[in-house]
Amino acid sequence: MKHFLKHIILFSVFATLPIALFLGLTAHLNPNIVFKKQGGHLYSRINELTKFPKVDVLFIGSSHAYRGFDTRIFKRYGINSFNLGSSSQSPTQSLYLLKKYLDDIECEKIVFEVSPQSLSSDGIESTLDIISNDNMNWRTVKMGLKAQHMKVFNTLLYSAYIQLLNLDADFSEDKIIGKDTYISGGFVERQKQDFKKSTSAPYKINQKQFKCFEKIVSLTENRGIELILVQAPVTSLEYGMYENSTSFDSTMSAYSDYYNFNELISLNDSVHFYDSHHLNQTGVEVFNNRLIELIH
Amino acid sequence: MLFNSIEFAFFFPVVFSLYWLCNRNLKLQNGVLLLSSYYFYSCWDWRFLSLIILSTIVDYCIGLGLKNGSLSISIRKLFLWISIGINIGLLGFFKYYNFFIEQFTAAFTLFGTSFEGRTISIILPVGISFYTFQTLSYTIDVYRKKIEPTTNVLAFSAFVSFFPQLVAGPIERASNLLPQFIKKKQFDYTSAVDGMRQILWGLFKKMIIADNCAEIANTIFYSPADHSASTLVLGAVFFAFQIYGDFSGYSDIAIGTARLFGFNLMKNFSFPYFSRDIAEFWRKWHISLSTWFRDYVYIPLGGSKTSKAKQIRNVFFVFIISGFWHGANWTFIIWGALNAMFFLPLLLSKKNRTHLDTVAQGKLFPSMRELVTMTSTFLLTVMAWVFFRAESLSHAAEYFQNMFEWSLFTMPVLTSKVSISTTLILLLIFVLIEWLGRESEYAIENIERLLNRFLRWCFYAIVIAAIIVFTPTEQNPFIYFQF
Repeated sequence: MKHFLKHIILFSVFATLPIALFLGLTAHLNPNIVFKKQGGHLYSRINELTKFPKVDVLFIGSSHAYRGFDTRIFKRYGINSFNLGSSSQSPTQSLYLLKKYLDDIECEKIVFEVSPQSLSSDGIESTLDIISNDNMNWRTVKMGLKAQHMKVFNTLLYSAYIQLLNLDADFSEDKIIGKDTYISGGFVERQKQDFKKSTSAPYKINQKQFKCFEKIVSLTENRGIELILVQAPVTSLEYGMYENSTSFDSTMSAYSDYYNFNELISLNDSVHFYDSHHLNQTGVEVFNNRLIELIH
Repeated sequence: MLFNSIEFAFFFPVVFSLYWLCNRNLKLQNGVLLLSSYYFYSCWDWRFLSLIILSTIVDYCIGLGLKNGSLSISIRKLFLWISIGINIGLLGFFKYYNFFIEQFTAAFTLFGTSFEGRTISIILPVGISFYTFQTLSYTIDVYRKKIEPTTNVLAFSAFVSFFPQLVAGPIERASNLLPQFIKKKQFDYTSAVDGMRQILWGLFKKMIIADNCAEIANTIFYSPADHSASTLVLGAVFFAFQIYGDFSGYSDIAIGTARLFGFNLMKNFSFPYFSRDIAEFWRKWHISLSTWFRDYVYIPLGGSKTSKAKQIRNVFFVFIISGFWHGANWTFIIWGALNAMFFLPLLLSKKNRTHLDTVAQGKLFPSMRELVTMTSTFLLTVMAWVFFRAESLSHAAEYFQNMFEWSLFTMPVLTSKVSISTTLILLLIFVLIEWLGRESEYAIENIERLLNRFLRWCFYAIVIAAIIVFTPTEQNPFIYFQF
């Protein structure tokens, strides 16, 4: 047994170098490390945050938030806002971002984009997005370890390495990535384009995400911030696939002011969306104007 | 708790340490195994532990009952049927109740009458098909006087619930595994290293091969109508590798884990995709289940030593119930029947035992004939897998309908973000390693003999690194957990 344990330890030490070498050599080919520039502009958003110490409304949520809440439209109505949405952001990451940045950004209201997808998510995509774009601290490490996923661990290690050696000091994110244009204040604009139909599976609420959602409600209550829950519109095709929409709506309404825009506005799938669940700029205008009417 | 989870990475070293700390006391060792197995199982659902305990008590008591030599044959038979009734009854209720109700309702409706059968919401207890068959093998072997019934309740309970193979096999025979719980164990370095190596290879199969193939196969199977015929063929091939990597990977991890505790489990896979006919394939695929059906169903029915008509009946019966064992769905039944159809010509022409050796034994390359027979056998299994993977018969029909079109002769196209080229390269490396290691128990068993320690350790490190690098974001549970 001693011999066996000795060899396990020796192998662990020995293996570190070839594994590190292999990972280093394949880093940029490695599908299990997420780098910046993956889309979503979270890097730009976080870097811009300090320019917005005080806002009227802070938006959080998934791509429905950063592609759905256009800070320029709110500005037209005299509302200062900042969009802190990120790719596939689930309540776990919303809570992380609020805990980390709510001391830096004073706000009266938080508009929290909620959906069956975000509450069903395992949060991996969003965790990866945040780790690769945010400045790391112990909170980031804790969130990464909780994800219990190889890709997250790899990205965590890689980001720590990059940050410690200051290897991305010269990095700057392009304003235009593919069809997306980053707008100051955190919004990402995509103009009208051909509607791409896609299908998705039914959603099952993840209890871990729901607990984080409840923590966000408590956090905003404790800080005296008004919380508005918004379900962003998706195509009628997509919305038709949701099971238990009524029960989801009644659950959300029990926690705070809640608006389900799939029921509140009438949109056309091929005119207002660029895919099954993302609004194009025409759709964003309609959605935001109605939201402002409701919350202002 | 999955073998490839963080929880297991903590659970296993703790159990391993406790187990070997108690190596002077066999009862204590069995106690550690029993409690850890119960804990392992309860991580899914503690309520269903009661089923394992019930199954353990029933078969232990019946075994003791059968020990009495003065019992008449009819009483012995009664004991056997009580065990079969309870075990199969539980399995039938949890796994097949709703299926039969639905079929009865459909059948009555077809004949213009109504049947008021109600389906109920039942959770399928993980591993029930596996441990039920394992305990049944004990009772049947005791009844047949092939083994002596045990009086050691602790050893028997640990045998039924042994965590490495509890939820997805291999389905052990009492004659092989039970005596190992009664024999004192000494830690064996060579065996433990071999176990670690097999675990590593199992993780590679599961996390790299199966999970990467799953991403592609799932995308294609999700909407067959949206893909070209050649893409559908590719999807079925990827599923063939997914299920092989997944299940044989699980078996490798289970066998390797058991080895670290000093147990030898039976081999469950023997490079089945290098088979030259379907009979050989079935001798090499899910061996513990195939031999279970052979020993406890096929041979008692007369096997191949009976009239032609009965031979055909026996083959169909065994393949169909083997398919039905996998799940309460017509797709599994058709999958079983299809394999029976593939197998039958070989049996009737007495060619079912032609290939008992390893293909191209002692050679690096197969002959052209071997290559052709291997490829055609593989394609037959791939066709059958479509039924196995399909959600329903209509889904399978849609898949086949779209698969036999002119687009079969075009290049497969995948529009998803899945990296098909990376997966293909990984598959190629995997098939090559499996081919080179096909004469061993598992592909990399002989590495000890072929490479010196430095190169060996480099190889292990690269496999670990590859697992870290190429494990896909989407993690899939082991397919056979649902059975």
